Amino acid sequence: MSAISELSSLTRRKGPITAAERKANGRDNKAAYIFLLPWLLGLLAITIGPMLMSLYLSFTDYNLLQPPEWTGLDNFTRMLSDSRLHNSLGVTFTYVLVGVPLQLAVALLIALVLDKGLRGLPFYRSVFYLPSLLGGSVAVAILWKQIFGTTGLVNQALAIFGIEGPGWISDPSTALGSIILLHVWTFGAPMIIFLAGLRQIPNMYYEAAEVDGARTLQKFWRITMPMLSPIIFFNLVLQIIGSFQSFTQAFIVSGGNGGPSDSTMFFTLYLYQKGFGQFDMGYASAMAWFLLIIIGAFTAINFIAAKYWVFYDD
Amino acid sequence: MPVFPFRPSLQAAITTPAKPRRRLKRLGATAAAAAVVLALTACGGGGSPQSAGGTVELRFSWWGSDKRAQVTQAAIDAFEAQNPGIKIKAEYGDWSGYWDKLATQVAANDAPDIIQMDEKYITEYSSRGALLDLSKYDVDTSKFDEAALNAGKGEDGLTGIAAGINAATILANPEVFKAAGVELPDDTKWTWEDFERIAAEVTAKSPKGTYGAAAYGTDEASLGVWLRQNGKSLYTSDGKLGFEPSDIADWWAFLKQMSEKKAVPSAAEVVEAEAAPLDQSGLATGKNGLAFWWSNQLPALEKAAGGELKVLRFPSKTGSASDAQLWYKASQFWSASSRTKHPEEVAKFINFLANDVKAGEALLADRGVYPNSEVREAIAPKLTPADVKVVEFIDQIKGELGEAPAPPPKGAGAIQEIVKRYTSEVLFERLSTDEAGKKAVDEMAAAISG
Repeated sequence: MSAISELSSLTRRKGPITAAERKANGRDNKAAYIFLLPWLLGLLAITIGPMLMSLYLSFTDYNLLQPPEWTGLDNFTRMLSDSRLHNSLGVTFTYVLVGVPLQLAVALLIALVLDKGLRGLPFYRSVFYLPSLLGGSVAVAILWKQIFGTTGLVNQALAIFGIEGPGWISDPSTALGSIILLHVWTFGAPMIIFLAGLRQIPNMYYEAAEVDGARTLQKFWRITMPMLSPIIFFNLVLQIIGSFQSFTQAFIVSGGNGGPSDSTMFFTLYLYQKGFGQFDMGYASAMAWFLLIIIGAFTAINFIAAKYWVFYDD
Repeated sequence: MPVFPFRPSLQAAITTPAKPRRRLKRLGATAAAAAVVLALTACGGGGSPQSAGGTVELRFSWWGSDKRAQVTQAAIDAFEAQNPGIKIKAEYGDWSGYWDKLATQVAANDAPDIIQMDEKYITEYSSRGALLDLSKYDVDTSKFDEAALNAGKGEDGLTGIAAGINAATILANPEVFKAAGVELPDDTKWTWEDFERIAAEVTAKSPKGTYGAAAYGTDEASLGVWLRQNGKSLYTSDGKLGFEPSDIADWWAFLKQMSEKKAVPSAAEVVEAEAAPLDQSGLATGKNGLAFWWSNQLPALEKAAGGELKVLRFPSKTGSASDAQLWYKASQFWSASSRTKHPEEVAKFINFLANDVKAGEALLADRGVYPNSEVREAIAPKLTPADVKVVEFIDQIKGELGEAPAPPPKGAGAIQEIVKRYTSEVLFERLSTDEAGKKAVDEMAAAISG
C-alpha cells in the first residue's frame, strides 16, 4: 500500500474525535514537527526570509554598500523603459517557447522508441538520462563552448565536407540556438517520466484498436497521447518553470556577459548583472519578483488550458 | 478536480521502473547533503576574530594569476616573520568573480580587511564609505611617485595606495612577424595607418587563422588612448564622459576598416578571444602578431608564449611618440575596509607592502613598477629579464607622457561591458558605427550618473 492510499484511508474515518484521540494526535503532530524542524528552519531561514527581504528591497534603491532607501514603485516603472530588460525578456521567452516543446518532443520520441522493448534498455535509459544530470553543470557548459567554438568539433566536422561553419556561440545569430540545443540535449529527465507513463497504459486498448484495424499513427494519436496527457502536462509545467529560471548555461557559454550583443542575455543573467555587477540590488530584486509573476502567470495559464487537453481516465 | 497529475496510480507508475528511480533518490540525498554543507560553510565567514593567543588575524583579498598568488604569499610570509602578532589570511580569485564576491562581502558586512582595488571601482566604494582613509594612519608615502600617490586620493581621503605603475602598451610577438617575413614596426614613429598596414601584411603572409593584430574594443583602455590622441578623454575631472558619440564612432569605424582588411580577426573570433584567459590569448598562442595589454602583464604573457615578446608604444596620429599620449596608471591599489576592527595593523601591513624592501623582493614587478623609488632601486638586481623590460619601458616613456587622466567616476565599472557589447554590435554589422556611438554614450552616461 502506498503512502498516499494510506493517507486517504486515514482521512476517510467517520465519527467525532474523542479527547483521548485528540491528545494522541497532538503527540503525533509534535513528533512530526520535530522531524520537520530541520526542513522548516531551512525553509524559513534560507527561502522565506530572503524572499521577504527581496520583496522589501524591490521597493528600494539599494547599492549593497549603503542602507536601502525606499523609492516605492520606482524600480518597476524603470523596468518599463529598460530596453535591455525587454531584450532579455525576448531571449528568455524564445528559449522557453522553443526549447521546452522541442525538448519534450525529443524526450517523448526517445521514450516511445525505448518503450518498444529494446535489449539492454536499462543501459540506454541511463545513457539518455546522463545529460540531464550533467546538462546544467558548469563543466558541460564549458565543453559546449569548446564544441561550438570557431575551431571547435562541430566546425572541424563541417570542414571535412568543405563547409566553413560560423562561430556558433560567438555569433549573435546562432548563439541562443546553441544554448537551446544544450537544453534539448538534457531531455533525459522528462524521458524517464514519459517512459514510466507509457508503461502504465493498459495493453488492452492497443489490442482492441488493432482488432478494429487502427494504424500505428492512429493508435498514437487516439490512445497514447490522451492516456499520456497528464504526464505531458506534468513535464510541461516543470520544464517551463525550470527554463524561465535557467542561468548557468548562458552564464558560462557567454562568459557571464550574455553576449555576443546580448543575444544570450537571459532575464536571470541580466538580473545578476544588475545586482552584483552594477550595484543595483533594489532593481534586481524587483526583476526577481517580476519573474515570479511571469512564471506564476504561465503556470496558471497551463492549468487553465489543461482542462481542455489533459485527459484523466477515472 | 485533480490539482496535479501526481495521483496514486501515477505515483506508482513512476516508481515502477525501480532502478533508476532509486538511484535518483540516493543522488538527490547526496546533493541535498552537499547543499546543506555548502550553505553552512558559506555562513561560516565572519569578521576578523581576535584569537586566544592575542594575535590579530587579517583577511587580505586580491585578484590575479597563480604567479601572483605565489609572490604575494611570499610577501605575507615575510611580514608575518617580522610581526609575530599578526596573521594574514589570503583570499584570491580571478578578476570577474572578484568584484561580485567583494560586493556581496561588503554588503554582508564581511569585507576583507585589506582589499586589492582597481581604479574603475575605487570611487564606487570610497564614495559610499566602504574604504578606510589611510592618511589617518601610519602609512609612509614620502618616497612615492607623486602621480601614483594622487591616483589613490579622492574626496574621501587617501583610500588607495598604488601597488604599482603601469602603462598601456602594444605587445608584439616577434615569432609571428618572423614567420610572416615582416619587419617589426618602429614604435617611436608609427601611426595608426602603419599599424593597420603592417597588421594586414602579417595576416596576408601568415597561415590561415593567424592575424597581424588583436582587435581593440574589448575594454576602455585603448579607447582612452585614442580619445586622448584626439584631444578628448574618457572622463572629465567632474565625473562626466569626456567625449561625444562621434568620437567613439570614429574609433569603431577604424576598427571595422581593419576588420575588412583582415588586419584583425573576424567578429566571431574577437568575441571568443574576449573570454580567453591570458595564457590562451591570441598573443600567447602565436595567433596574433600585436595585441593590447598593460605593461605589467608582459612577464606572465612571455611565460605563456614560451618566448620573448616586445613592448611597443601605441601608434599616434602624427607619427611622433610624444603624441602617443600615454600615461602612468596605478595598476592596482592597496585599500582597506572602513569597517576593519584593526585599522592600525591593516595600515602596518599596507605600509610593509608599499615601502619595505622585503615586500618588494617578493612582489618584484608583478603588480607593475614599484611606486616607491627606494624599493624600486633596491630590488633592481633581483628582477627577471622580463621585469627589466617592463621597468625600462616605463622609464623610456617618462618624457613623452600626456597629462594624467581624470579618475574614473562612480559607476565606471560598467563601462567595459558597454564598450565590449557595442564593439560586437559594430563588428557583426548589427548597428552602424554612428548608431552604436549614440547608444553607447547614452548608456555610459546613465551608468556613471547613478
